[in-house]
Amino acid sequence: MTAGTLTSVTAERLGDASPQLLAPGGTQWAKVSETTVSLAPTPLDAQPSAYVQTSWAGRPYGALASVGLSAVVAGDALYLRLRWAAAEPRQAISDNDTYADACAVLFPLDGKTAELATMGDERSPVQGWHWRAGTALPFVITATGLGTVSRVPDHPVSVGAAWENGSWSVAFKRGLSEQGVPLTAGASVPLGIAVWSGANSERAGLKAHTPAWLTLTLPK
Amino acid sequence: MATVSSRPARQLAMVFDLNKCLGCQSCSIACKTLWTDAPGMESMWWNIVNTMPGGGTPRDVFSHGGGYKNGEPVPGTFPPLREFGEAWGFDQEATFASGGKAAFRPLERDGSSPEWGPNWDEDMGGGQYPNSYFFYLQQICANCSKPACLEACPRTGLYRREEDGIILIDEERCHGYRFCAEACPYKRIYFNPGRAVAQKCIACYPRLEAGVAPACVRQCPGRVRHVDYMDNLEGHPYKLVHEWKVALPLRPDFGTEPNVFYVPPLAPPAFNEAGEFDETKPRIPDEYLREMFGPGVERALETIQVEREKSARGEPSELIDILIARDWNDLLGPFTANPAELDRPPRGG
Ligand code: SF4
Ligand code: SF4
Repeated sequence: MTAGTLTSVTAERLGDASPQLLAPGGTQWAKVSETTVSLAPTPLDAQPSAYVQTSWAGRPYGALASVGLSAVVAGDALYLRLRWAAAEPRQAISDNDTYADACAVLFPLDGKTAELATMGDERSPVQGWHWRAGTALPFVITATGLGTVSRVPDHPVSVGAAWENGSWSVAFKRGLSEQGVPLTAGASVPLGIAVWSGANSERAGLKAHTPAWLTLTLPK
Repeated sequence: MATVSSRPARQLAMVFDLNKCLGCQSCSIACKTLWTDAPGMESMWWNIVNTMPGGGTPRDVFSHGGGYKNGEPVPGTFPPLREFGEAWGFDQEATFASGGKAAFRPLERDGSSPEWGPNWDEDMGGGQYPNSYFFYLQQICANCSKPACLEACPRTGLYRREEDGIILIDEERCHGYRFCAEACPYKRIYFNPGRAVAQKCIACYPRLEAGVAPACVRQCPGRVRHVDYMDNLEGHPYKLVHEWKVALPLRPDFGTEPNVFYVPPLAPPAFNEAGEFDETKPRIPDEYLREMFGPGVERALETIQVEREKSARGEPSELIDILIARDWNDLLGPFTANPAELDRPPRGG
């Protein structure tokens, strides 16, 4: 079920009429292949805050080495599932100094090109689906550069998450024809992934991420 | 990267006179009922008055880092809720069962006994009898000219108003990352866990816009608080800070250039062993006052002493007149509107 580290993933088509894929640990996902995607810490000198750069100098973050990615098209929706090891899950923000686990997938807003390292720019923005433990709804974000992330008020993305046996599984769903990044049967979109470890106080730009876009291909 | 190098067009400033504060917390309650009575804000005290020397709010308030040293940001921490003090419940059952004999015992949310809270060590102070001393220290956000909070945020979640230099959190942009709370050396930022946003004193800007003084200023029975724009050369902040040089920033070593200033506490001299005043020995240690208010503190205290003596002799003293504030409205700068007389009063009285 697990392939090697790849930079290209093809979503599988699932014929099931009533997909239960927002249950990320559910049996339907067991039939879907999973790709191991390597992650690396974001560069500290790119954090858009002198305070963050100073206070995190010499302090490790983004140590998660890889995440499992599975992609399915069922009915008229795309489902993306991320799965990663989290021995000490942070399931919610429980105090001033605690941070929740989180993950996100990112695309060029036009589905074609954008700079990943800068999280887009004025001409080529990025859009992401962002899940934070303890919240029922994901955030859909757009950005035109580091530090510019803003949340889209109404969006069609939903999420399901479960922590089991030392791992998080988080599944995102979006209808192919819904508003946002174009998702077209048979076409490919660049895809980035990020994971934040709440136990290590990771938030904002302090995260493990894919340093370069992967390619996600949707079935015909 | 968010830095604010230039100054705003105008800067609002306040002066708190530590020699007049009663420790009554009317200011704290005025603020609490006005701004922080919503769910998620139970433990917030945007204005708080603590007995000094003391642990403060949160516990050991000035030891959590933040601010700047030699212009570089200093890493800080954001203490957990228990160190600010949660909104306690009381063990009413136990008191009822005892027929009212057992005192109300405060309880944390998890049923344990609190170990810290706002102004926890009220009136304990420092020094040894008969040379014990304390003073009350009022704290709000100081709308710093070099706001460590604003500059720490990696996503411009805070901004400074050009018209008065007030620092505000944009709750639409705030994603609850809390770098601002770590970076504020005065620990004047709170976290709303339900909404996952940072929140802090807003200097009552909706009141200011209606010409009404901030609630903590207007509700203070001690006439402790003076407010005005710093560019009003006739205003109390300008006169006290720049002309008389008796109002000083708190912990200037934090490097954020706060715009709340304090008239330092003038205590009587220490007693000697014979129980007489020893004019050569201060009651409050000089080094403590220097640490709190910077190197200008001795001169400021001298000036106040000289002017007080002048006033006691029946001679005029502009400084003492300002500090006494016989006409209450003199404290309020341009913000003398009475909310009860406005057609559309802002929140609060
Ligand atoms: S007191 Fe703290 S929160 Fe207020 S402006 Fe200064 S650094 Fe920011
Ligand atoms: S209301 Fe005035 S006198 Fe009372 S605690 Fe506040 S500053 Fe002090």
